[in-house]
Amino acid sequence: MEYAVYAEGLRKSYGGVEALRGVDLHVPRGTVYGLLGPNGAGKTTTMGILVTLIKPSGGRAFVAGYDVVEEPQRVREHIGVVFQEPTVDRDLTAWQNLYIHGRIHDLSRNEIEHRARHVMELVGLEKFLHRRLRSYSGGMIRRFEIARALLTEPEVLFMDEPTVGLDPQARTRVWEVIEELKKTGVTVFLTTHYMEEAERLCDTVAIIDRGVVVAEAPPEELKARLGGDTLYLKTASPAEARRLLKLAAGYGDARLAEDGVTVVLVARDAPRLLPTLLQEARATGVSVIESRYVRPSLNDVFLMLTGRSLRDEEGGWSDWMRLHMRARR
Amino acid sequence: MPARPRWLPAFQAMAWRQLVRFLSARSRVANSLVFPLIWLLFFGLGWSAAFNVLGPAARGIFGGLSYLEFLAPGIVVMTVFTAGFGSGLGIIWDREFGYMKELLVSPAPRGALLLGRLVGDTVAALAQGAVMALLVSAVAGWPGVWGLLGGLAAAAAAALASASLGSLIALSMRSPEGFHMVVNLVMMPMLFISGAFYPVDPLPAWLRMLAYLNPLYYAVDLARGLMYGVHSTPLPLDVAGLAAVTAVAVAAAVARFSRTYIA
Repeated sequence: MEYAVYAEGLRKSYGGVEALRGVDLHVPRGTVYGLLGPNGAGKTTTMGILVTLIKPSGGRAFVAGYDVVEEPQRVREHIGVVFQEPTVDRDLTAWQNLYIHGRIHDLSRNEIEHRARHVMELVGLEKFLHRRLRSYSGGMIRRFEIARALLTEPEVLFMDEPTVGLDPQARTRVWEVIEELKKTGVTVFLTTHYMEEAERLCDTVAIIDRGVVVAEAPPEELKARLGGDTLYLKTASPAEARRLLKLAAGYGDARLAEDGVTVVLVARDAPRLLPTLLQEARATGVSVIESRYVRPSLNDVFLMLTGRSLRDEEGGWSDWMRLHMRARR
Repeated sequence: MPARPRWLPAFQAMAWRQLVRFLSARSRVANSLVFPLIWLLFFGLGWSAAFNVLGPAARGIFGGLSYLEFLAPGIVVMTVFTAGFGSGLGIIWDREFGYMKELLVSPAPRGALLLGRLVGDTVAALAQGAVMALLVSAVAGWPGVWGLLGGLAAAAAAALASASLGSLIALSMRSPEGFHMVVNLVMMPMLFISGAFYPVDPLPAWLRMLAYLNPLYYAVDLARGLMYGVHSTPLPLDVAGLAAVTAVAVAAAVARFSRTYIA
């Protein structure tokens, strides 16, 4: 099978409440894949099924080529998992945690020693190998968990909201680690409700809302569905603006702004289009005195697909719900 | 790429983890010694003085032993048995602090993970039992090296049983509060009906039946037989009973853990 993760019609209901209503996923090997959606959309449930901790009510899923329900043992041999909440033994040192992790994944002591140094360097914690995790900050624990998950050289690395609850600095560190991972060829599957995170890290983004994947494509492609970028070209006079308007109309949806001297153009691939336009404008004797363009964000995509904004979901009752649910567990 | 994980590394790692945790939690060790020591001193010395009023006749009640001698093996077994229940508490904390997920997504056989934990905790409990055995020997009388070791062996089996029971309860409970409630509900009657504090023989038949289902009864009887040469059940029967009840408890806990999903 060519997909590192493949899911078809995944369903999960908790006492009549449907958390997942048919989730399809196609994750190519060696890519970073993001499941993006507001809290409560079903991200954590989906990941729980993929890492064999939650039994689906319906549908099928394969990770590294193995069925998560039929062969959970094989799946577990090929994955690394970083959960949303810490899953370390804080009373032990980083080394002791790594040692146990390695042993329960059947690595020899030599292999563990050898790789421990490598993974701790990767996340920038090599100096803290023999510290108890109790002394680690939240950001360090998250990075340590990434290191631990990589100890077994997994085919697929799962990360549930890798930067939630981290301060901006710690978040950037985690992003840098994930970007570093891209070079190693490991497949990364992450969930997030931060679109900046999805845009920056992911080769493919699946947008999930209310238990269904509503779109799955590279971020650029998703944004292109909005019709493209918006370019603003300001000229010196209304006459020049009208001439530029005719020219711009050949590239997309063009109109004149209210000031009468600015041309507004909605078109694909603004970064490449802009220099071309400027060149052609100069050739026809129009002088552009100001130019800029705005690219749509994944939030705009989410808004188009669901009629709601991702940002609306933050800090509201859904966060409260999540805290509540976590406490119950 | 890891090959199919074998049994032994996971078992060994988990046992090692429990011992490292035990050695770094000295307060817990002290705590588990204090409770039985209070029993021995205040309960044991108190009743011992009361029975002395009867003079030599009191020994008749306790198979020819003084009350302190009668109580001593029970105290050792009790120490180890209550310490064993702490294994379940470890599971509760692992779940609360998320570590359980780390174990559940590993490919290690569930049986190896749980048995490693149980054995690690049993060894830790036994270390506490050894300290207690030396203390009670000082108070009640030296049972000899072999007596002491025999008593500890019986206690070890009891610890494995209680660790299994504690784990079984922990895996079935949603909250730490629920765990404490059920453990108290289970542990208290087991301690009282174990023959540690009073002989089981004169009890009404239905109470005696309950005692025969109690792994602690066999452990106490066996320990007393080996330490001071007095027992109510033939020793081979004690060994068989203890082994059977412990095996059932371990098997039940492993079966429960093998079926554990988070949802």
